[in-house]
Amino acid sequence: MKSNLNPHTDHGAIDPILGDEGELIPSSGFLAATMERVRDEAAVPKPIPFPWLRALPGIVVVVAIIGWCGCELARVGLANAREISFTQLHLTAATGRALEPAGWVAAALAVSLLSWLFAQRLAGRSGLL
Amino acid sequence: MGLVLRFREERDQEMPAAMSAEEDLADVNRVLAGEVQAFEGVVRRWQGPLVNMAWRYCRDRGRAEEMAQEAFLRAWRGLAGWRRESSFSTWLFALAANVFRSELLRFPAVNVPLEDAAEPTGPATQHEGLARKQSDDAVRRAVLALPTRYREPVVLYYFHEMDVAAASRTMGLPEGTVKARLARGRELLRKRFPHLSEQSAPLLSSTLRPEKEVLE
Repeated sequence: MKSNLNPHTDHGAIDPILGDEGELIPSSGFLAATMERVRDEAAVPKPIPFPWLRALPGIVVVVAIIGWCGCELARVGLANAREISFTQLHLTAATGRALEPAGWVAAALAVSLLSWLFAQRLAGRSGLL
Repeated sequence: MGLVLRFREERDQEMPAAMSAEEDLADVNRVLAGEVQAFEGVVRRWQGPLVNMAWRYCRDRGRAEEMAQEAFLRAWRGLAGWRRESSFSTWLFALAANVFRSELLRFPAVNVPLEDAAEPTGPATQHEGLARKQSDDAVRRAVLALPTRYREPVVLYYFHEMDVAAASRTMGLPEGTVKARLARGRELLRKRFPHLSEQSAPLLSSTLRPEKEVLE
């Protein structure tokens, strides 16, 4: 603590009052309590990192499928956009065309099933299941 | 809270700076190598400074210890982030200042405006020492009522033994900015406590205490 005041930076009574304050001594249990918290924190297992390497093939497949689906939808959608009319909304027409997207629904379900199985496998290997 | 007198020289002899820096480095390396217990050395060396620094931020002993403990925990978590470009103490103080600032944003130490900060008045001929102590305490408490941008430079400047460079490193601000805010903070305190400007420097230097008060 600088107790000699510089005459060029004399700040009246403020320097001695604020600069020459009493010193607080930490309580006797402070060190032990702090180290206990540190040890507790050190004892907590680190979070399991996501297995990116193992998941990479799955991610690539999913991205490819989504991309392919997007392309197909755009292609079919653009081709049929001009043909869409209110007459196609009749019940008979709707029923007639109901089987057309069934393949897509089945594909979507298959993709969902594969994703679920893949997730199960990942979780199983990480010891979570 | 009792008062114990302790000579400053005694404290300074306890921990030469170079030795402390070497010990810090050694302990940090051991902690990073997986030896948790080595962190105890860091806590042992820096518990005093950090608790005192926190105390100046909040003027509440219990809270100061909680905040200091939180700062040590953050230091523990971020030890690998110390890039060793600056000294360990600089890094630790900067980290602690961030922790204390955040804590006080969540729960401010005082909600009293500066103009409402108490100032003891009245004759003090018989108990001049006590009156002076009360007056000094009022000024110290008034620092907490300063706007945040002026409060922190004032707190850190006096904590760092009136070293603007050290305070600016802790705050991560240019020295010029710290000086300007410090001047503004002092100006606000002088406005609130006009007697601070009236006392002359020779009188003040005679009132400086040779020893340091230690609060238990």
